[in-house]
Amino acid sequence: MGDIKPVYLEEKLKEVEESGRLDYRSKTLPTWCPGCGYFSIVEAVAASLCELGIPNENAVVVSGIGCSSRFPFFVNTYGMHTLHGRALPVATGVKTANEALTVVAVGGDGDGFAIGGGHVPHAARRNVDMTYLLFDNGIYGLTKGQTSPTSATGFRTPTSPYENPDRPLNPLLMVLSYGASWVGQAYAGRPDHLKKMITQAMAHRGFSYLHILSPCVTFDKTHRTYQNLGMQVRDLPDDHDPSDRLAAMRYAMDDATPALGLYYREERPTLGDALDGLVEKAGGELPGKPAAKPARKAARR
Amino acid sequence: MTKTKNVRHHVVIGSGVAGSQAAETLREREPDARVTILTLSSLLFYNRYDLPKVFRGHRDWREFLAFPAEYYKDHRIEVRRCSRVAGVDGSRRTIALEHKEEIRFDTLLVASGGRGYIPEELADFRPLMHPFSSYTEAVTAAGVVPERGHVIMLGGDMIGLDLARTLVDTRHRVTLVAGPQTFWPHEVDEDERPGLIAALEKMGVEVVEAADAGGIASIEQGARGLSARRVLFKDGTELYGDVVMPFFGLSPSVEFMLGSGTDIERGLLVNPALRTTGEGIYAAGDVCQIWSDAEKRYRFFYGWKNVRAMGELAARNITGGDEPWVPVQDEKLRIDGQGKLQSPFWEYE
Amino acid sequence: MATDIQISIVGSAGDGTIAAGEILRNALAGMGYKVISFDVYPPEIRGFGKCIARMRITTEQAYSLKHKSDVLVSLDDSHAIAHANEVRDCGAVIYEQGSIVRLPEGGHMSAHIGPGQLPYPLPIRELSEKSTGANRSRNIVVLGFIAGLFNLPAEGFRKAIGKKFRNKAAAVEASEAAFKAGLDYAAKTFKLDDVSFGPPVATVVAGATVEMINGNAAIVRGALDAGIDTFFGYPITPATSIMERLASEMPKRGGRLLQTEDEISAISAVIGAGFAGARAATSTSGPGLSLMAEMLGMGVIGEVPAVLFVSQRGGPSTGMPTKTEQSDLHMAVYGGHGDAPRIVIAPTNVDGCYRCAGKAFEMAEAYQTPVIVLIDLYLSNRYETVVFPARPPFEADLNRRPGKQAAGAQYKRYALGGDDISPRAVPGEKGGMHVVTGLEHNELGRPNDSAELHAAMSRKRHEKLKLALNHPDFTKFKRFGDEGPVDVGVMSWGSNFGECLEAMLKARAEGIRCAAMKVVMLSPFPTEGVASFMADCREVLVPELNYQGQFANLLQANIARPVTRLDRVPGEPMKVEEILEEIRRLAGNKAAQKAA
Repeated sequence: MGDIKPVYLEEKLKEVEESGRLDYRSKTLPTWCPGCGYFSIVEAVAASLCELGIPNENAVVVSGIGCSSRFPFFVNTYGMHTLHGRALPVATGVKTANEALTVVAVGGDGDGFAIGGGHVPHAARRNVDMTYLLFDNGIYGLTKGQTSPTSATGFRTPTSPYENPDRPLNPLLMVLSYGASWVGQAYAGRPDHLKKMITQAMAHRGFSYLHILSPCVTFDKTHRTYQNLGMQVRDLPDDHDPSDRLAAMRYAMDDATPALGLYYREERPTLGDALDGLVEKAGGELPGKPAAKPARKAARR
Repeated sequence: MTKTKNVRHHVVIGSGVAGSQAAETLREREPDARVTILTLSSLLFYNRYDLPKVFRGHRDWREFLAFPAEYYKDHRIEVRRCSRVAGVDGSRRTIALEHKEEIRFDTLLVASGGRGYIPEELADFRPLMHPFSSYTEAVTAAGVVPERGHVIMLGGDMIGLDLARTLVDTRHRVTLVAGPQTFWPHEVDEDERPGLIAALEKMGVEVVEAADAGGIASIEQGARGLSARRVLFKDGTELYGDVVMPFFGLSPSVEFMLGSGTDIERGLLVNPALRTTGEGIYAAGDVCQIWSDAEKRYRFFYGWKNVRAMGELAARNITGGDEPWVPVQDEKLRIDGQGKLQSPFWEYE
Repeated sequence: MATDIQISIVGSAGDGTIAAGEILRNALAGMGYKVISFDVYPPEIRGFGKCIARMRITTEQAYSLKHKSDVLVSLDDSHAIAHANEVRDCGAVIYEQGSIVRLPEGGHMSAHIGPGQLPYPLPIRELSEKSTGANRSRNIVVLGFIAGLFNLPAEGFRKAIGKKFRNKAAAVEASEAAFKAGLDYAAKTFKLDDVSFGPPVATVVAGATVEMINGNAAIVRGALDAGIDTFFGYPITPATSIMERLASEMPKRGGRLLQTEDEISAISAVIGAGFAGARAATSTSGPGLSLMAEMLGMGVIGEVPAVLFVSQRGGPSTGMPTKTEQSDLHMAVYGGHGDAPRIVIAPTNVDGCYRCAGKAFEMAEAYQTPVIVLIDLYLSNRYETVVFPARPPFEADLNRRPGKQAAGAQYKRYALGGDDISPRAVPGEKGGMHVVTGLEHNELGRPNDSAELHAAMSRKRHEKLKLALNHPDFTKFKRFGDEGPVDVGVMSWGSNFGECLEAMLKARAEGIRCAAMKVVMLSPFPTEGVASFMADCREVLVPELNYQGQFANLLQANIARPVTRLDRVPGEPMKVEEILEEIRRLAGNKAAQKAA
């Protein structure tokens, strides 16, 4: 991990103010518990948007329901805080309506893989040009600590007072098989790496999925703690070839010592490309092209 | 009233005078029975005797119907129109319709009547002749005859001569090519014939004796600019007209009864109670030959009154009666006070 | 001579019944007749389920189908026999003369033709086989026979056949031969029925086009003319053809359509696209609307424009997917949790489908709300001759006022006050950044659940919709029949209004003082206008195709007065005679009162 250098508050503030990334933070302060891993995610997203130079008004952050889904209120962009599980289809609608927008969907493990689990494969296979940040803390925090689809077997919670009888899902493995064109994993406890991964994910043209491991400091004192996660996580080996999906899946299957980094990446046409292709096939004119938009508007009148 | 399984099914083949009368009598005498009429016609019962009216401008079929549709509903008489009987199985008591439907009957009355007979030598010219035995044929024939047009009538017979009266009355020209069937079904002695022919001529009908011209050689479509039809005789003489209508008497419609187990000569043979030799199978009207004890032979009885009476009698005998046939009208051809022909077969209500 | 003829073609799924109907109505519409047509399909795709193509051909556009048909064509007696009694006296029954299989007694159409009806047995199979070498063209043989029997110009049929089988030369050739076989047979057939076509009347309006389309196609045309940008949907009977047609038409105009993984996803994407500034829509039926209820509420609280085309079918649950019903009115108007007002409009005919579809986009934008266009299977599949105006009567981009706020001030997406419609910015616009949330929120769009704010926002969401009651160029309700006080007023909505109008007109012809009102705007409810009509009526009759009397419930929730309900769930259009009987009964009450 290298040497630990002391950080002084004044220096940090100066650095932050000069970076311009504060422009991407809203005046609303996060409502999360002190120590929550999500603080570092909102910080990383702001920093990534800033680094990529995306105008605030061109970014749309879409979420569902859950602790993590409060996210849009904390960034200074357009946003939609929608229904439990529905971030991905709403985000698909936003992107389809306006390809010029940078669309980021955020949500938790319950939002994305329990109630909204049916939407992930389709956003992935269609290669909707958006970034999906999945905050995985293995628990339902907003409703005060029930099991989620990624909770460990045997985990005791108010809805599983004896023990959680279910096996946890492996979202990384699922998303790899769904055909996501960019798949990576990060850990809220490693903010620099996290920021790097988010920036890469946003820069990717297509559906990018970043699985972010994060502790719930309030309701999980036994399993996914900073201490445990810190010991478990490792880096993907340097020689991992991100174009090798099978290799990526093999790494993804190891959920005991989760590997961080870029698992898989491919370049392929996005949903937008495909829909433009249909317009061409049908002999229509693309709205983006100068002649097309007025023609369509004319049709309205 | 509950419908019992043992309700008898009386089937009548034919919706003419005999069949329709029989159906009504069957209904009266057995209120619970099923009564079904099978007919080739696409129309409900109409009176064939009314058909000459088409030459008086009556072309709407509604005017010809004897009873309105409600009559059949009220009397619960099923009428299966456009239904051709392919065969009858007397032992299984089933009727096979040509469209492959099978109908079971308890009793069957064959009242299929007769169709216009065409002599062998004229069969080839069938497409050039206009028969007159159904409503549609009548309207079709009337449709091709112009006002004051010329009708060539072959044969004659009492149906044709009845029409001839109307045609003359409506200022058409009628030429009768007379032959053996001219006064059918009246049996006419040789010596009576000249007087009867004269009476016809007196009525306004032009008469040519076919035999005098050696018989008919051919019937042809008239060339452009000429009349529609030409009748050529063997002696080289010819006749031009707008339409050629054959009237050679009736030939019983019995072919579907072949193989049914009933005896057939020309028509269905029945005893004086109108029973055929098939069990539960009766016949009435122009289709049957009735045993006449007096004449010691099977013979036909014609005429509207006779036929209606046969229909009624058959129905009575089907429903438990056992009465013998007694003809109800005279069959004598006469010449009236004005020298015109009068046939009892022209009388109907 | 005015024409008013109804033809029903009944057969099984493989007989080409629906195709024959399509060709026939296109041919007749092409000749200048007005057609209203409604087909019935079996729920199964394969197999031998019953199909009915039914059309009424008139000189002036009719409002509904008739109870009795003038002509019945059987392509399959096993299905058609049950419909023999639907033919009027002196009407024609055209059926297969022979059979290739043995039939039990009563298994042939000839056994079921009533004494008042006129039989036309036809060797359909034989004619098809002789003319084309196969029995597949039986339906076309029948069309040829109809053309010949009723003396209709063959050219019109040939055009319609060519249109139906375009790009299929072999099919056109076979159809041509089969058509001729039927036509020739008709020439030899003696015509007995009194069905006869009068001369058609051509509608001439400068620049307008006359087309015979069904409700779903009219919805599509309205959406296209209103400039729909994006569409997200999931197939469901009877709304599927809306999506299918848009899938082929939208790309031609640069539009985007996506078949989503479910209805939840479809409405979610519509809300997303609406938020992003697109004219977005989805189409579904009752089961889909149930799934969409939660996201619809999100659209209400988030004040996002969205258009939902909902075609009802028999319910509840999977219900009767291929049967019509008007039993989703409660759900359309009230469905979902919370106080979630939305605009619900229900056209009553195919022309109305076009207008409502286009206007729905205007309203969704103008009042920043989801709009449901509620139709049903009957209207979805019902064909009518519609005159389309030269210029689409729809406005673009209504009431988007992102710059209304004071410069420098924080953007208040949900500003209170004024006419209750707040400025709406869309992503990409500077200075308008905000978060749309399903949580109750303040003017900025930030979560806030104070009592005062919830009350103010609830009021805003309800009050702004009332502006829609004055939406320009939109018929919210319409009165027909006698002016002033009447004995009986018939009130209905949606597809069922046609039958009500027809019944009312018949009652008037019988001398009963009566009127009818169609209510197109169901939410917000046009209470004032409807109440003034009801005040004119001694008796109010409300016929509708559901068991609960959902429209009557809505009516009485808004206007307290007794009404007589006529609720039927036959899965098919209501019988005009049944409504007429009720009108007579109610009108008779007066006579009874007077006598007493």
